[in-house]
Amino acid sequence: MIKDITILIAGAAGQGIQTIGTLLARVCHRAGLFIFSSDDFESRIRGGHSFHLLRIGTRPLVAPSLNIDILAAVNERDYEYHRERLGPKGIALINSDTKKTMESHAFYLPFDASAKAAGGMIASNTVAAGALLAIIGAKFKDFETVLKDNFRDKSEEVLKLNLKTGKQGYDIGRDIEFPKYFDFTGGRHGRVFMTGAKAAALGALAADCRFFSFYPMSPGTGIISNAAQYGNELPIVIEQAEDELAAINMAVGASFAGVRSLTATSGGGFCLMTEGLGLAAMTETPVVIVLAQRPGPATGLATRTAQADLLFSIYASQDEFPRFVFAPGSVLETFNTVKKAFYLSEKYQVPAIVLMDQFLADSAGTETGAFQTGHEHETFLDQETQMSQDQAYFRYKLTGSGISPRKVPCLSDALVRATGNEHSEEGLSSEDPRVRTAMVEKRFRKQVLMKDEMRMPLVFCEDSSFYLTGWGSTKGSIMEACLRLREEGIDVGWVIFEDIWPLDSHRLKTLLENKKLIMVEGNATCQLGSLIRQETGIDYVTRILKYDGRPFYPEYIIERAKQIMGK
Amino acid sequence: MAAIQFDIENENEWCPGCGNFAILAAMKKAFIAQGLEPRDLLIVSGIGQAGKTPHFMACNMLHGLHGRALPLATGAKIANHRLNIVVNSGDGDCYGEGGNHFLAAIRRNIDITLLVHNNKIYGLTKGQASPTTALGMKTEIQNRGTVSSPFNPVATALAAGAGFVAQGFSGNTEQLSELIVEAMSHKGFSMIDIYQPCVSFNKINTHLWYKERVFDLKEAGHDPLDYEKALQVAHMGAEKIPTGVIYKSQSPSFTDRLDVLKTKTLFEYGFDKLKMNDILGRG
Ligand SMILES: Cc1ncc(C[n+]2csc(CCOP(=O)(O)OP(=O)(O)O)c2C)c(N)n1
Ligand code: SF4
Ligand SMILES: [Mg+2]
Repeated sequence: MIKDITILIAGAAGQGIQTIGTLLARVCHRAGLFIFSSDDFESRIRGGHSFHLLRIGTRPLVAPSLNIDILAAVNERDYEYHRERLGPKGIALINSDTKKTMESHAFYLPFDASAKAAGGMIASNTVAAGALLAIIGAKFKDFETVLKDNFRDKSEEVLKLNLKTGKQGYDIGRDIEFPKYFDFTGGRHGRVFMTGAKAAALGALAADCRFFSFYPMSPGTGIISNAAQYGNELPIVIEQAEDELAAINMAVGASFAGVRSLTATSGGGFCLMTEGLGLAAMTETPVVIVLAQRPGPATGLATRTAQADLLFSIYASQDEFPRFVFAPGSVLETFNTVKKAFYLSEKYQVPAIVLMDQFLADSAGTETGAFQTGHEHETFLDQETQMSQDQAYFRYKLTGSGISPRKVPCLSDALVRATGNEHSEEGLSSEDPRVRTAMVEKRFRKQVLMKDEMRMPLVFCEDSSFYLTGWGSTKGSIMEACLRLREEGIDVGWVIFEDIWPLDSHRLKTLLENKKLIMVEGNATCQLGSLIRQETGIDYVTRILKYDGRPFYPEYIIERAKQIMGK
Repeated sequence: MAAIQFDIENENEWCPGCGNFAILAAMKKAFIAQGLEPRDLLIVSGIGQAGKTPHFMACNMLHGLHGRALPLATGAKIANHRLNIVVNSGDGDCYGEGGNHFLAAIRRNIDITLLVHNNKIYGLTKGQASPTTALGMKTEIQNRGTVSSPFNPVATALAAGAGFVAQGFSGNTEQLSELIVEAMSHKGFSMIDIYQPCVSFNKINTHLWYKERVFDLKEAGHDPLDYEKALQVAHMGAEKIPTGVIYKSQSPSFTDRLDVLKTKTLFEYGFDKLKMNDILGRG
């Protein structure tokens, strides 16, 4: 019994395939179905091959599916391009005003012509959405509600056109036979459906981040554009910097003055931020950096996905200093991780990096867990305003924990002196070797406590023969692959890292000892595998790596894992 | 008590006779003239001899990276636009490594005061040519003479739309401190390029060399509200060196333009947990 179906909507950039996907997702979400969607597009504004993948089911979905059940092609060439992914019972809808012949599974439908006849080619996507919804058995009433909401800011005319074309599409789709897996009767459920990029933005806002500086770079920009949606409701400032050097320095400057700050970028931009990262570390100024990875080096593949900046983020910037590196693996986890990153960054006065990637940023999932504020917005700033004359304030006071009381400038008689040069307790440059040694040790004392904040990787199925081991955005695909392999009687578990650095070698070693790890990573050198070996001496047995710029599908992992395990 | 309150016990690292001492003195004088105390000031600086300035006085200080003082100061100002922020930067720091930020700060009209200690040389790294080094000037590395033409900061600032542009000279502390007061009272981005002899590495543009060439724009009857005249002043060349306010015009500053900062600083807002949960509830 199939519990979920996958729809692939293909077209050229600029043809609005995402619009179709969004309409579908919203109707299904209203009806209580679970969705996982992802976007695959080229670095161009018009033309090329793009697709939106929408998986719909009656239970939570955590990964995309390689096999598709319905292919909706805006152009015939898109049909040719993707048809091999169609399963044996799959159908294809191809937008064509002229072609009438019907292959048994391929239906040529006049999306454009219908829209034109109704008064506007622009509504062609609504025709397609209507047809798809009818095919999967959605109620027109639900579609109508979603359309009304979708076009509420537009003119009466636009809404009318879309309602009309939506109905036309719906009627076209009704004639096409396709099994109706879902009953679309679900009522209110309170679940959330959103993208990773939006979850990151909300996580920042829920942690009281008020300043966002950035320089546009895919796939990092989406985090900022999502935050920007709340500019009228929340006290935030979003500033597009002149470059990433400015972006990170602005964030550090704002944080120094007492406002929580975030900057988001991708690998190339992060390269430019590395000196600023070191400044945050040396001045002990909290800052959160969301690093949404894409393939590189250099410009690489601008709109594609990768997991190849793990070691870079751990070691970026010269010399050595403590930092946090996290790699959330789902939409809800992204929200919670970014929130936590602010809290911990401020608690320990160190930079925190949240690793995402194009796949996670642009994927959307139905989450059953709650998106809520917690304690993470609470500040650690020492806001004592009075200061007696004889009591000097030392920004870098040597303490047992390595954490010095942090004040903001110009709010008290305490002079706050911070510098990126090596410095004394009072924050003045110093070249004294004893001071230098004491300060290096002070900064690293914090790391001992930071390690205790880090969660160990999730382990599923103690005593399995093998463990699919990964981090970050591959989480969903690894979990699904593992569960499906187990259904086939193959004994495999998972080890999934969300908190990456600092790594508690001792605890990790105990956890992983005697486990056979099959690394699953989106890079060519098995970066997490190397890190585990370096930190614990435990070597992985083999690896499933992928560096083609595309995400891991569970099917791919299943196939490779079977080969490895000789099944 | 006067100047004393800005003094601190920290060994000054500049070479004896360096023009930076006079700039530091002029700064202190200007702060006292405005009734400011160390606690009221945030001095942000870059890297170089100029960047060390806040180390030699009592103030709040953020001593950042080479070239990046302006974005650092911009972030701090956005977080708390009530801060009085002065930036100390060098000619290499501001016009070389940080050139892009210089242009962006002007465009933003961020309400901070930029002091560029322009010694026409890289002082801290021992005497390489800087963006403002004269064409043909020999240095240890540019040993056949500097090949590129000097950058004209004042003309560039004017062209970019800066609302307060002045030229100072460390040899005239009286005038310089007045310029600093005027720059700090200007609402919006203000910059003073300050000629500063480097006794160790610039043997051409010495104190005496400047003394023989500088003249006071105010005395010469220059009208700083006249943009055309200001451009002429900016292009006067090296033989007669104008000092004083070159151009002034008022427009809303960056933080004035942000509605969210109309009533409170970004720092002062509280966290609205109810509203945030409401937003999260919408999904
Ligand atoms: C990223 C980086 N590059 C280079 C340097 C080395 N450096 C330090 S100061 C300086 C130039 C200083 O010249 P200027 O800004 O004119 O300041 P001055 O010392 O003359 O006051 C350079 C190149 C550095 N600290 N950081
Ligand atoms: S090197 Fe030049 S600028 Fe630096 S302190 Fe010495 S004289 Fe001053
Ligand atoms: Mg210089």
